[in-house]
Amino acid sequence: MKNYDKLLNDLAPQKFGKKGVIWTISLVVLIVLGIIAYIDQIIRGQMVTNMNDYALWGVYISNFVFFVATSFVGTAAVAVLRLTNNNWRTPIVRIAEIIAVAAIIMAGITITIDMGRPDRLMNLFIHGRMQSPITWDVIIIPTAMMVCILLLYFPLLPDFGLLGKYYQEKKPNLSKWYKRLSLNWTGSDTQKSIQIKSIQIIAILIIPVGFMLQTIDAWLFSTLYRVGWDSTNLGAYFISGAAVAGIGALVTATYVLQKVYKLEDYITDFHFDKLGKFLVLVCLIYLYFNLNEYLIPQLTSKKGATTHINVLFVGEYAPLFWFVIVGGLIIPVIVLLFRRGRKPFPMFIIGLLVVIGSWWKRYLIVTPTLLHPFLPIQGVPEEWRHYFPSLHEWAITIATLAMALLIITILVRYVPIVPIQKTADEQEALELNKNTKS
Amino acid sequence: MRNQLITRHFFLVVLSVFLYTSSFAQDRVRLKAEYVKIMNEGSYFDIQATAKVNDENVNVSKIELIIYNLVGDEQVEIGKTITNMQGKSRFKLKDLNTIKPDSSNTYNIDISFAGNDAFSDASKSIVFKDAAIEAKLVTIDSINYVTATLIDKSTDSLLIGQSLKVQIQRLFKSLPIGEEFNETDEDGTILVPIPEGIPGVDGILAIEVILSESEEFGTVKTIVKAPIGKHVVDESTFDQRTMWSPRNKTPLFLLIFPNILTFGIWGIIIYLILNLIKINKS
Amino acid sequence: MENKKTNSRRKFLDKGLKMGLVTAIGAIGLTKIASKLNASPDETGSQDKMQLMTTDGTVIEVDSSEVMEMDHSKKKQTEEEYDVREGMPNRKFVMVIDLAKCKNALKCQTACNKQHYITGDHAWLKVYKMQEDADTAPYWMPTTCMHCDQPACVTVCPVDATFKRRDGLVLIDNERCIGCRFCMAACPYSTRVFNWKEPNQGEITMLMDMENQTDHHSADFAGLPSVKGTVDKCDFCPHAIKDNVLPHCVTACPNGVFYFGDKYEDTVTNGEETLRLSKLLEDKHGYRLMEGLGTKPSVFYLPPVDRLVDFKEGLESFTDYKSVD
Repeated sequence: MKNYDKLLNDLAPQKFGKKGVIWTISLVVLIVLGIIAYIDQIIRGQMVTNMNDYALWGVYISNFVFFVATSFVGTAAVAVLRLTNNNWRTPIVRIAEIIAVAAIIMAGITITIDMGRPDRLMNLFIHGRMQSPITWDVIIIPTAMMVCILLLYFPLLPDFGLLGKYYQEKKPNLSKWYKRLSLNWTGSDTQKSIQIKSIQIIAILIIPVGFMLQTIDAWLFSTLYRVGWDSTNLGAYFISGAAVAGIGALVTATYVLQKVYKLEDYITDFHFDKLGKFLVLVCLIYLYFNLNEYLIPQLTSKKGATTHINVLFVGEYAPLFWFVIVGGLIIPVIVLLFRRGRKPFPMFIIGLLVVIGSWWKRYLIVTPTLLHPFLPIQGVPEEWRHYFPSLHEWAITIATLAMALLIITILVRYVPIVPIQKTADEQEALELNKNTKS
Repeated sequence: MRNQLITRHFFLVVLSVFLYTSSFAQDRVRLKAEYVKIMNEGSYFDIQATAKVNDENVNVSKIELIIYNLVGDEQVEIGKTITNMQGKSRFKLKDLNTIKPDSSNTYNIDISFAGNDAFSDASKSIVFKDAAIEAKLVTIDSINYVTATLIDKSTDSLLIGQSLKVQIQRLFKSLPIGEEFNETDEDGTILVPIPEGIPGVDGILAIEVILSESEEFGTVKTIVKAPIGKHVVDESTFDQRTMWSPRNKTPLFLLIFPNILTFGIWGIIIYLILNLIKINKS
Repeated sequence: MENKKTNSRRKFLDKGLKMGLVTAIGAIGLTKIASKLNASPDETGSQDKMQLMTTDGTVIEVDSSEVMEMDHSKKKQTEEEYDVREGMPNRKFVMVIDLAKCKNALKCQTACNKQHYITGDHAWLKVYKMQEDADTAPYWMPTTCMHCDQPACVTVCPVDATFKRRDGLVLIDNERCIGCRFCMAACPYSTRVFNWKEPNQGEITMLMDMENQTDHHSADFAGLPSVKGTVDKCDFCPHAIKDNVLPHCVTACPNGVFYFGDKYEDTVTNGEETLRLSKLLEDKHGYRLMEGLGTKPSVFYLPPVDRLVDFKEGLESFTDYKSVD
């Protein structure tokens, strides 16, 4: 038990410092600004956006796709590493689970922001048609949300139990909450066996669910005729891209939390090293699919495809495109190939770069395609030939990002970032191993 | 419901009153009228009322017109009619026998408008004789023809050298067949081949033979129903299960596979939630 | 434990079924109410006095002939009442656009904009200045909604707000549309427009408000009124063709570019001449736009050959950045 005491002291959620409070308040301010902008959008209609009959989807949709992609971290980091028996995952899985929950919740919220008539949301259930990819999305998002929450919750049960005991005297109120959330966890054999079995099921379940979520998200685009979307590559392209966005977010968050909560003893350079290698792998896979997506149409050079790709390669969107490809994928791969590049701080910078690149990548998937329809753009105001988000759109989008960060912030405030029970078990096993060896 | 309808009508009353008073007083109404006879169905007058208001031709709606039959020096009123929103009116004659011709078997009709606050009085007279078209379907060497004979009823003689139009009734405009002008021969008859493969609902074609806007006889029309058309086949996918059908006609595979997946996954989710409850209880 | 599991599953299914049943009953009830509302009021013959209630509640009496009937109240009384979502039986409406005759007079667009009270910046009917390549000849190409027989827009609609009728028309129920704009993204012909703001349709709004009162809101009344946050598009004028009247663009065109008709009757007309559709398409080599996409449009084009007027004459009225005044 003395072992637990140290672990609990180190790993139990801590109160925010000054910085934490400032951080939280700024997030809340951003969210409030976004909500004001959204209310204005509801009152005046989507005229407050810069979307038009050609650029009919904009930053709301690309932001939605980004959130969906980021939620893939649950599948990529937790399930895949678990199934491949990578034991180094233990201290980072909780962070991945938290990010996944925040991202999938925000995905559900952001998609309704784009709706012209959010008041008719219920029509999706009253009149839903199975033929529409949106209906598939409406089904898969709550499903994925549920699985992500369960994936976070099951492994938390023993930790909640421990925390309930830990705070019993110090903070009886908090302790009560932890105890309630721990579902009377005593660590009995029946409880343990049910819990372990359940976690195993979720770890397997989240793989098809995660793949379906990303694929349906890709199909929202690839079921349409537009150049740049009408591609059989899109499902795999989105899954690999989601892995990049998810792991990038994980790396960034892990670094920040390691520093803020002083977890250097638990999340070590070794873990960053492993994560870095994982990130290289997913970036390379994504680059491969990018190659398919952009180079093959260029080779056959059909007229529409050439126009589209020229806009990306050398045209209006070229700076953004090359930032995303070089800054968001190629540079990370090169840096992370070096051992020194996989140290925590460089990893943090790279992770940030990857996340920003991933966000803009979604923008590049959505916008340029819409601005190159099959028939020429004529008879509409000149500004309809271009699209850049309006102030309202930025305010709302930033608010959704802030909201995701706020969900993460609240969760890390009350939930142990590094699984306590699991770490204890592993340490015990290690010790046992040592003892038997010597 | 009723109330709402009334409110709406009230609004229209107000609107029409407004329109009446705002227009210039006493514009001249011009009446156009045409006599049309449809064989075996009856005759009618198609009347159109227009006026030049501010140098613009407008249709004069909702005015009352009285139709008179001139017999000798006498004007016999045979009915009244009111123009519709487009300034049109169709006055039906129950029977040609209800009006009387003059000594030369010519009918004289006067249509008159008494005038109101906005428009001055106007009248229009039309003169016509009774004619008849008898048409039927014939098959010669397995080609279908429509044959029609034009008769002047006032003298009971055949009409020669008149041109008749032959056309098939269609939704918007009738489809002409044969020559542009089909002149009646010395038997007062025309013979027009019917092209093959023209579709009709249940294979029935309604073929019209028309003497169009003749100065002497007005318009005379007869309709022959010919069961010689190609049957219309509904090509619509409306009743099928397609990707673009409403949800009660969703393709079966789209019902089966997504539902298997959905219920399968949610089954597992529910099982997991039950596990949470079990943990809570043990 | 096994028992428990099946039990709970049964409960779940049971609940689901009950919910479904409730929804179904609700739906039936609603249709009943709707049909009652649509039922025609007793016809009041001419020469009768009619009691009307004014908005402030006083009852006045007027001669019924003084009361102007509105188009739709009359329509309600006709027997041709039909299911807006099913359309007319034994009809398949098609359009033929003769590019050889088009000289960008834009009368079609003006008429369409006016008749449909179009308020956005993107007309439903557009005349494109087309030139595929610098070496190929330019021509004017009017486009309407193609009313595809395999409509991509309808396929992707999540709520069945846009639908395909038996008579070929693709219409929008803007009381159901959730404004996701997926149909706009799906349409390869860029034909759909969105009401980004509250549409200001002038005096028609007032009239339509009254229409709403009488539950007249229907997808086939010229898509009126437009509703904020929903999609609009060319509707092939079902409010006109229902009364055997040609769509506004067809009658407005001074050059007889547009032919409209029923494919099952094999007949199309531009108001001036009435022709057999099959023969016209055969003689003039009709084609459809983007046949390769498999959308099967209901609009056919006749190639711009043997043109009567020079392409350049149309340039006068061509505006690159405007289609609605």
